[in-house]
Amino acid sequence: MTVLTIENLRTTLRLDSGDCDALREVSFSVDEGETLAIVGESGCGKSMLAMSIMGLLPSIATISEGHVVLGSRAIEAEPEAAMEKVRGAEIGMVFQEPMTALNPVFTVGSQIAEPLRDHLGLSRAEARKTAIDLMERVRIPSAASRYDSYPHEFSGGMRQRVVIALAIACRPKLLIADEPTTALDVTVQRQILDLLDTLQDQEKMGMLLITHNLAIVAGHADRVVVMYGGDVVEQATVRDLFRSPAHPYARALLASLPRVDRDLSELASIPGRVPPLAKLPDGCRFIDRCPHAMDVCGKMPPAVELGQGTRHTVRCWLHVEGGSDAAVG
Amino acid sequence: MTNTTTAVAPARKRHTPGRAAIIIGATIVGIVLLAAIFAPLIAPHDPYAQSMLARFRPPSAEYWLGTDRFGRDTFSRILFGLRITLWTALASTALAMVAGTSVGILSGYYGGRVDRWVSAANDLLMSFPQMVAGIIIVALLGPGVTNLIIAIAITAFPAFYRMARSAALALRDREYIDACRVLGYSDVRIVARHILPETLDDMIIIATLWLATAVRTESSLAFIGLGAPPPAATLGGLVREGFDNLLDYPGLAIWPSLAILIVMIGLNLMGDGLRDANDPRASS
Repeated sequence: MTVLTIENLRTTLRLDSGDCDALREVSFSVDEGETLAIVGESGCGKSMLAMSIMGLLPSIATISEGHVVLGSRAIEAEPEAAMEKVRGAEIGMVFQEPMTALNPVFTVGSQIAEPLRDHLGLSRAEARKTAIDLMERVRIPSAASRYDSYPHEFSGGMRQRVVIALAIACRPKLLIADEPTTALDVTVQRQILDLLDTLQDQEKMGMLLITHNLAIVAGHADRVVVMYGGDVVEQATVRDLFRSPAHPYARALLASLPRVDRDLSELASIPGRVPPLAKLPDGCRFIDRCPHAMDVCGKMPPAVELGQGTRHTVRCWLHVEGGSDAAVG
Repeated sequence: MTNTTTAVAPARKRHTPGRAAIIIGATIVGIVLLAAIFAPLIAPHDPYAQSMLARFRPPSAEYWLGTDRFGRDTFSRILFGLRITLWTALASTALAMVAGTSVGILSGYYGGRVDRWVSAANDLLMSFPQMVAGIIIVALLGPGVTNLIIAIAITAFPAFYRMARSAALALRDREYIDACRVLGYSDVRIVARHILPETLDDMIIIATLWLATAVRTESSLAFIGLGAPPPAATLGGLVREGFDNLLDYPGLAIWPSLAILIVMIGLNLMGDGLRDANDPRASS
């Protein structure tokens, strides 16, 4: 069953220098129990995408086209009051920075209990009991006695477990993990990711794993969406993407990974940098850094499916049959 | 626990800054408050009873602080004056605290155009010296204890408004407030549960300090004749009455002045002490 479908989503920013699209023609879906990784460098629209789904865009941004479909219900135009019932209850979210995502003046237990009382209407005693269960499920040792501890008494990894407990408290169908391990030690990263995998299996949640770490993608995701400058440039299963990346950006990204099985004197990098929002090119946004840039790349390339039923799509003129001729004419 | 051989710095005795000030201040305020509450029981005479035979008596066993020109007992009048003065100060400060805190938090939390206008109006109010603003407002509203309370509350509003607004402004961009939004909490819940409690400490400290200012404002307004109308006794009003016979019977003005001084010292000591105790930079 599909948990989340993004259809042709366009999110527009109103800047002083004019409107610009932070997301263009973004389409993908997440199934029950599936982990979809969103990868891309800073500023590619990953977080903007998460905020578009949650209905928490800053005031200068609006969804100008397309749909966000949760289950079978389009939520992109829902009023704030309805979205408050969706957030936290049907969509959970885990943040990058566990050190600041918890209120320092309340005990961790009471913070886990709060959404239970707010969304599920549990009584104080029930909420406390459920919160302790949740703390055990995210493997906080001696949960019952840690209920009344404050966030500053927890380590980073433990706090992230609390944040995860908060996110799954109301058993959401979709979990958005926005760089959940970026701020943690490598050993703790592993534990947190394994925990997320386990919880996902138990709850059959769809998970949107936002990251820029390809190693995490390889180990924990089922499918990958590669984003660049607000476009979904490639979408494939993890296996397909790592074996045969089709988009020049995805290829460059994978080539930049150092490999232990090859001699290496220099790290491969992608020349240039992400264009600033106000100066995004109209056509393919990778044009200035792409080794294969052609005249036709000044126009937005269509999404091309590589092979029937593979769900491997790429948005690049190189893969459009006769594309260069068609567009130039 | 266990005795270890490692040299551990001896646990320093925790010293709360401002503790002595809080204790002394709170004691003074407590005594004054009790005196005001139980004034009808303590007062040796009816504060309004006039006696032509007992005019301008010096302090004695019967009239502890002497009598005024109508033969009214000064000590009893000071006790009853405390009631009105303290009630005015408490009510106006409470009013200013509730109004200033709520408007300030909403202004800071939502920001935008409303915030700009309210802040501008607040700056305008602040640009008047306390007394001048008080005089203008009482003059507009007319005399009377209720109007006096409203007038003092308005002059105290900016202090609470500014503090609450800046606190809300700083808190609303915290990541854990974003986390609250992501969890689907309504604005009402976020403000009531996560922003208001964090500003409350500061608000209470400002309130204690402003209580002293409110006593002073009340007394000053009463002194220039804009206080509670006679025969009601307020501390400022008593000083004013005493002024008419200052050269012959200076005690009539000095005793109520001393009462004002004691109240102010108590409130200021308490407020300063609380502020120091709450200031993380001041703790050693």
